[in-house]
Amino acid sequence: MTAYLVAVGIIALIYMLLTIGLNLQYGYTGLINFGVVAFFAIGAYASALLTLAGWPLLPAFVVAMVAAAVVAYPIGLLSLRLSDDYLAVVTLGFSEVVRLVIQQERWLTHGVQGLPGIPRIFHSLGVGQYAELATLAALALCNLAAIGLMLHLVRSPYGRLIQAIRDDEVAVEAIGKDPRRLKVQVFMLGSGLAGLAGAFYAHFITYLSPDQFLPLVTFYVWIAMIIGGTGRTTGAVAGSLILMVFLEGSRFARDWIPGVSEVQMASVRLALVGLALILFTMYRPQGMMGVRR
Amino acid sequence: MTLVDFCNLLINGTIEGLLIALPALALTLVMGVARFPNAATGDYMTVAAYAGIGVQALGGASIILAGLGAIAAGSAIAVVFYLWVLRALRGRPPVASLVASIGIAFFARSMLTLFVGHDQQTFAVPLVRAWNFGGIRLLPTDLYVAAVALLAMAALFALLHLTPIGRQMRAIADNPDLARACGIRSGRVLLALWAVVGVLCALGGMMFGVKAVVSPDLGWELLIPAFAAMILGGIGSPAGAVAGGVLLGIASELSVPFVGPSYKIAVAFALLLLVLLLRPRGLFGKAILAR
Amino acid sequence: MSALLAAAGVRKSFDGFLVLDDVSFAVPERGLTGIVGTNGAGKSTLFAVVSGQLEADGGRVTFADADITGLPPTRRARLGLGRTFQVPREFAHLTVRENFLVAARREYGETLRSVFIGWGRVRREERALRERADAWIEFLNLKQVRGKPAGTLSGGQKKLLELGRMLMLEPKCILLDEPFAGVNPVLVGEISTRIRELNATHGIAFVIIEHHLEALKALVGHLYVMDQGRIIADGDPTAVLAEPRVLEAYMGGVI
Repeated sequence: MTAYLVAVGIIALIYMLLTIGLNLQYGYTGLINFGVVAFFAIGAYASALLTLAGWPLLPAFVVAMVAAAVVAYPIGLLSLRLSDDYLAVVTLGFSEVVRLVIQQERWLTHGVQGLPGIPRIFHSLGVGQYAELATLAALALCNLAAIGLMLHLVRSPYGRLIQAIRDDEVAVEAIGKDPRRLKVQVFMLGSGLAGLAGAFYAHFITYLSPDQFLPLVTFYVWIAMIIGGTGRTTGAVAGSLILMVFLEGSRFARDWIPGVSEVQMASVRLALVGLALILFTMYRPQGMMGVRR
Repeated sequence: MTLVDFCNLLINGTIEGLLIALPALALTLVMGVARFPNAATGDYMTVAAYAGIGVQALGGASIILAGLGAIAAGSAIAVVFYLWVLRALRGRPPVASLVASIGIAFFARSMLTLFVGHDQQTFAVPLVRAWNFGGIRLLPTDLYVAAVALLAMAALFALLHLTPIGRQMRAIADNPDLARACGIRSGRVLLALWAVVGVLCALGGMMFGVKAVVSPDLGWELLIPAFAAMILGGIGSPAGAVAGGVLLGIASELSVPFVGPSYKIAVAFALLLLVLLLRPRGLFGKAILAR
Repeated sequence: MSALLAAAGVRKSFDGFLVLDDVSFAVPERGLTGIVGTNGAGKSTLFAVVSGQLEADGGRVTFADADITGLPPTRRARLGLGRTFQVPREFAHLTVRENFLVAARREYGETLRSVFIGWGRVRREERALRERADAWIEFLNLKQVRGKPAGTLSGGQKKLLELGRMLMLEPKCILLDEPFAGVNPVLVGEISTRIRELNATHGIAFVIIEHHLEALKALVGHLYVMDQGRIIADGDPTAVLAEPRVLEAYMGGVI
């Protein structure tokens, strides 16, 4: 039982990191990132491949974060030239292209066959079953750091300016401030968090394949942010926990309802996410932050 | 690459381009009139294609009947989701409709797989050998789907330029406030718009299904290429969508000897980026809508 | 005396439609200038070109002896040329005070680095700026809503907030786009008084677009009248508004 809860907790905290990062990008700054899963994947594969090549974990994690942030740089630059909805479609397309590359470049990623045998996080310490608990603790620490950073940031002059950018970019220019630098920085920062989440994911699941990085993951994060309350870090925390309840709950439901296959459950989950996106957009617009442009 | 290879790629690219033009037209109509990128376009295609398969399985081998079934399903699903979801979101920023359309896409696809399953399906089309002109191959099926696509485009252009409802659509796309001031009732026009979008998606999905296979991801995989075709041609320009589609199709095919067949969507994406960065208005687009 | 702000021969077309046709005007230091005209005369477009939101197709804009024609709006604002908008563009989810604070010129606090290190320096910066912001908030009579989200303010209060945001920039000249639009009469008087005070005490020049002719006449020293993209009259407000040309443009010849 404890092992199960620890596992669920780890996945929840991974999603929490992702949601906190997206909330920084969209909730605070108004950048519509439909490509979250791309940076998640980049972090995961970067760390996995490096550790499989013999790198120790900590530097691999750092590289995972940096790699995700570096790839986010050109996308961030793109966001300066594209309005909301175009950025959304471009980031979505980008995440699908990343998945395609992972699929195709078998020499690097093993493609759809998958990348097995990724070392666990505290395994080298020989801690055994407590390795999972230690992973949970490490994740919890990272999340606390991220939450602390965000809460500090939102009250800082920097945070004020990025929220002003979200509220009205033209007015920001009218007061003599250039939104561009900050938008790129925020994009990179949020994506770096996604990369970190990906690294944790890789070393927890110990097996990577491109099917784990479908756009659905991006929209899990989006729905978590929306349900929790866009624009608030506490909302990101709450939303990711609610998401976890939903994901695990759907797995339990299958145990109770006879005759439902895993594939059918996947469809049900997809349906519920779609429905949630529709209903929240329609009936809870403050979850969407009507941004005036 | 020999001249024969080049011709074959050119032909296949043109045909695929004509097919991608159909969802690109659907996208550009929605962008022009309702002003948001409809991420559900792909899944409308998928649902309609499966409907066509279903009709053919039940109603005999008639491909025409299957096509009508697809069209009915396509316009139905487009209209239903407009009435339920998108109509309620008018007046809200385009983000809202975009996110909702993602939700619609997911919901539609999941309902489909839940009730119909994940299996690939194929249309029962008579197996005909390809014509061969000294190495240049041409499948009659390809000509057939291309003809259907061209007919659909012709019908669309006739609708937009020769009928009152089409003129009203163009007026709203051009200047919504002025259109309202002229008494154009957007409710009816939008209903017609989504029905047309549904028909275009249905034909697109069906033709792609006839040419290859019908799978649950059929439409979603075509979303980015359709979007790229629309941008390339210029948003809000139906002629542009067709031109963009053909150009994109040819470019994708010609890239195959260099990057392999699996990277076609990446080529579409790269083209999309290039256009957005260098000439956001595309070929025939009006204002600089990207930024 | 050379003008503080001047436009010379400005031209702007949209889709082939000429919106600004060879427009020239000059605003002296500490000037109070008004621009009036019928709807569609091109007034807001002129403001957009002068402040940099739109690029002119021809002509020049100069400010404080510098040619600012090609500069982006951020640079022009930093040079001391501010503007407010016809429909207020407040930062809706920030409080009134935060709206003021975000407008202040700031060296360190808005770098990413400052989020991680140098918190003491940020705090000192903040304290000084908060004093300035509170002073302006008090001046504009917004103290009672200081902690409220700017989106909840009334139309008139939002106009005052926009003005205050500009003041944090320490501007030499502010373009006001319909400051009295949709504002109740009492607040109109208050806004007028503030403008006059800022002009007299702080030496800020104002260029004001308005439809509220009575309030504007009493406020400005020089008036420009625009019609269909051209300036058709300028001079003393009362005199200009009595000119037959102006009356005809405004009211189609009917008195």
